[in-house]
Amino acid sequence: MKILAVDDDPIILELLSHFVESMTDHQLVTASCAENALKVMQDHTRRPFDCFLLDIQMPGSDGIALAAQIRTMDSYFDAPILMLTAMSEKQYFDSAFAAGATDYITKPFEVNELQARIGLVERVVESNRGKTRKVFATKALKAEPGKATPPIQLHEPVSIYEVDNVIEFRAMENYIQHLTRNDLFGSTVFAFTIRDIQNFHSAMTPFEFYSMLSDVSEVISDTLGSHQFLMTYAGSGTFLCITESGWSPEPKMLENSINIALSQIELFDNQGQMIEPRLCAGRAERLIWKSDASSVMHAVSIAHMSAEAAAQEYARIQQNFWQIGRLV
Amino acid sequence: MIQQKLELPGIERIRNRFLEMLKDRQYAIAEHALIAWESDELDEINSNLDNARTVLHQIAGTAGSLGFKDLGTQARACEIEIDAHLNGPDADLAICPSPLIFLIDQFVQESEALIAANPQSVNA
Repeated sequence: MKILAVDDDPIILELLSHFVESMTDHQLVTASCAENALKVMQDHTRRPFDCFLLDIQMPGSDGIALAAQIRTMDSYFDAPILMLTAMSEKQYFDSAFAAGATDYITKPFEVNELQARIGLVERVVESNRGKTRKVFATKALKAEPGKATPPIQLHEPVSIYEVDNVIEFRAMENYIQHLTRNDLFGSTVFAFTIRDIQNFHSAMTPFEFYSMLSDVSEVISDTLGSHQFLMTYAGSGTFLCITESGWSPEPKMLENSINIALSQIELFDNQGQMIEPRLCAGRAERLIWKSDASSVMHAVSIAHMSAEAAAQEYARIQQNFWQIGRLV
Repeated sequence: MIQQKLELPGIERIRNRFLEMLKDRQYAIAEHALIAWESDELDEINSNLDNARTVLHQIAGTAGSLGFKDLGTQARACEIEIDAHLNGPDADLAICPSPLIFLIDQFVQESEALIAANPQSVNA
């Protein structure tokens, strides 16, 4: 694996180089600032980097801005980005994840922690090599000439880029697992599921399906816009959201607002047929008193499943309504 | 855990480099703190505290990994106090709180003691 580490502290860079040289088979290239990193990336276009380690606080352009810039590059749209950070920089975490960070490593490093994180990243890089894809966030559903969108399974989480506060599913998992007990007190998870997602999935081309997910996520993001939150697409038409600002979201009201916003934009498939995705909201689960990672993930799972159950219930009611009509 | 850190082969070279740099860094921190302490100009006070904070932040980020956990913790404490002042209600007043200077002074003394305890590393 080829790694680019960016930090303004030469000791950190020496430590990382030393660690990578003595304990792994990877190759580490270093840069002392964001500008220098961009130049290094240009010099390595023939064999790009697999992973990035970025310091958050650097003179000039900081690590968060650099992460956002890296994410806009075609070669690096899904490359793991690990932020190098002190726990005192917790206030920057949301922005770092929103900018495209996958995870973070706390300074000062513990050798075994660093080893474990790099090991995880290596597995991610391996799996990304097998399924390179990019979601194009577009308002109009235009096929990209010459670019085939790979197939996507209905249940599969898809990375959606260039939509505010939308992060990769993997990054969301890391984010939730790192929430401290204090953070959990103000945190709530909630989810929305696109109704009849199976029908959309089976009727649409992969590109149309990607585009619809992207458009829906943009509408959700805009609707939640005034609040602090992060969101991810978790597969099967479900968008999972988390806020840690103390805000108590009311899912039913949000569902209505999002569906109104969706009804006000015109979405078409490639044949020019209008598509009308609508959402159902699940329960909002507060993470208060969830003291360990497994109970937090359990709460996330409840929020997720309740949104899918709401979408299924909606379909059942619709079905019953038409059956009643037949009986009469 | 410290034992495990020290087991990384060749870490001694980086420890020496850290101590060498600490000599200059602690002078820089002391100088910034002194200017902030003696100044009655808001910008001068805050910019010097911010500069001291940047150096402290770097020390806090690496000291623990090199076996100097206490120094790292102390650097982090100074950094947090400076942040609290620069983001607090007194940030627009031309004052440099004496408890903050006392804390930085303690850190500088700790650094000097560490450097004195490792003369070969620093002069290597």
